[in-house]
Amino acid sequence: MSAVIEIEGLRKTFHSLRSGRRVAVDGFDLLVEAGQVHGFLGPNGSGKTTTLRALLGLVRADSGRMTVLGEPSPELLPRVAGQVGAIVESPQFFGNFTGYRTLRLLARAGGVPVSRVDEVLDLVGLDDRGDERVKGYSLGMKQRLAVASALLKDPRLLILDEPANGLDPAGIREMRDLMRSLAANGVTVLVSSHILGEIQLICDHVTIISRGRRVATGRVDEVLAGHDRHELLVRVAEPERAVELLHAAELTAVVDGGALVVSGVSDPTVVSRVLGEQGLWVGELTPLRPDLESVFLELTGAYEHSSVPRQVGDSSLPQGEAVIDLDRGVDA
Amino acid sequence: MNLVRAELERLSARRFVQLMVVLLVLAFAVTAATTLAGSHKPNADEMSSARAQAAEARRDLEATHQECLARQSGTLPADTDRYFPSDCSEIDPIRQDRLPIPADYLPGVFNFAEQAQPLLYFLIAFLVLFGFLVGASYIGADLTSGGVVNLLLWRPRRLTVLAAKLGTLLGAVLVLALLASVVYLATFWVIGQAAGLPGRLDGDFWRSLGAVHGRGLVLVLLASALGFAIATLGRHTSAALGALAAYAVVWELGARLVLEIVDARKSDLFMLSSHIGAWLNGGARFYDEQLCRGSTDFPYCEGFYTVTWLPALLVLLAITGGLTAAAFAVFRRRDLI
Repeated sequence: MSAVIEIEGLRKTFHSLRSGRRVAVDGFDLLVEAGQVHGFLGPNGSGKTTTLRALLGLVRADSGRMTVLGEPSPELLPRVAGQVGAIVESPQFFGNFTGYRTLRLLARAGGVPVSRVDEVLDLVGLDDRGDERVKGYSLGMKQRLAVASALLKDPRLLILDEPANGLDPAGIREMRDLMRSLAANGVTVLVSSHILGEIQLICDHVTIISRGRRVATGRVDEVLAGHDRHELLVRVAEPERAVELLHAAELTAVVDGGALVVSGVSDPTVVSRVLGEQGLWVGELTPLRPDLESVFLELTGAYEHSSVPRQVGDSSLPQGEAVIDLDRGVDA
Repeated sequence: MNLVRAELERLSARRFVQLMVVLLVLAFAVTAATTLAGSHKPNADEMSSARAQAAEARRDLEATHQECLARQSGTLPADTDRYFPSDCSEIDPIRQDRLPIPADYLPGVFNFAEQAQPLLYFLIAFLVLFGFLVGASYIGADLTSGGVVNLLLWRPRRLTVLAAKLGTLLGAVLVLALLASVVYLATFWVIGQAAGLPGRLDGDFWRSLGAVHGRGLVLVLLASALGFAIATLGRHTSAALGALAAYAVVWELGARLVLEIVDARKSDLFMLSSHIGAWLNGGARFYDEQLCRGSTDFPYCEGFYTVTWLPALLVLLAITGGLTAAAFAVFRRRDLI
């Protein structure tokens, strides 16, 4: 598959008199291939928005190489801008304009046929609210309008920064369906979010960023599998005795609540055999699969006390430069 | 072209712009209404009396001048009760900017030829303020709200986007200023015709009025660009307002005082207001007593110096052009966060 977005060694430092020097993105890499719905995860201040802004030419990178649809960005971004729909954070629109007029204005500025406005309003579920003023919109409706503005160009690549912000559960579901539908029609989607369950449902690929560095990337199932500790939840009548039996069989097991958590087991039948041979019958035996949230917390939370998170694929990292959190004004 | 059309729609939709236009119309309406209410068409008796008074005033001027010359030449004895200048040419009627005319003796009668220029100055002052504030808020609000970022996601060419905004602003302000001034002057011309006096509307009058109008429009455009540039540099509308207030207090008031204390020569040359006045009026004379110190012409040294319109324009262009170029250079490289 061809690369739609490529970022290599992106580095961005902000300087201010008050806060001094702050590293926002520190040698970050990202690869998004055609047809992917790629989740971009990271805690607040991890560098997600700065990365997207740099990719779209809104902030100047200190170093690194970026391409969008094969063109170096930001130098030749205008060549492909017509095929890239993007929202970065929550764009502000004129409160006095109606939703329709807002989109018509953007369509005119971008040379898009005005007839497209009705189509995208319909796509995001604002077709019956398009003639209302934006200042009367809820946060979720404004977010839909933002997504509609990104869709106006009928893009090949859609970059959405926190598109689910302000949406209610029904809206989140509609947004999910919309992204799936776009992906099915060949649109590549890069979506940043902190709603991990959504990312897991929508995305086929994921990249996790922490303190400006990539800490995980790949297919969602592969990333999850990489953090599978092969744990089993086991329910038996005598948990304490079961632990002793499993320890005797050189397995690691702890009592957690009324159940056992057995770890390091690749074959679950070993557990049922060890316990069964001693007359302890297993009532429940469930593999504990990691979800994106646990992986995310492990990858990003585990480095809270470390100065430099490990970057995926790196064998050694540049040392001696502390990476500190950004304030929300820079990268909320 | 699409970008300019879109920008024009955004500009005209701004509440602040709409408010300023309403204020312009209100100020215009109040001025026209009070002028109309306070003026009447003079009857034949009033006209006759005014003509006689004007003729008498002109005769008095001539007589005073002749008396001055006579006393200077010793034909008449010196009169200590009356003041005559040492140089009688100062009161020579021929050298006066204007001589008494009947309109000066027609109270309550609006004279278009006499009042058009001051009225135009008022309009230009309003339009200069309008241009500065609208220019500053147009880009300032867009930078603050993320409107510029939104636009750059569509057209990732920073200089093109900023130039389209500035071009749209200047074009819109120019069209509005032209329309407003034409309607404004036409209204007062009608008032002069219907409820006052049109006055002497000869070629000199229209040339002079046209020159003030043209220079005024240039000033309006410069003010608009200046507001736009300062707000772009400072990222906020308030940056332009703050810069304007700071300049007025710190430089025009504070520095002027300091320059006077240290006896700086031609200190008015350092003030932007001097150049604005010189440009708008086609030139300006300033008094500086320092010029006469040690002068061999004393006591004939007048202590005046003149700023003509060309250097005044060059100063205004340099400041506006410099700040605008700086705004484009900074915007080209700035992180938009």
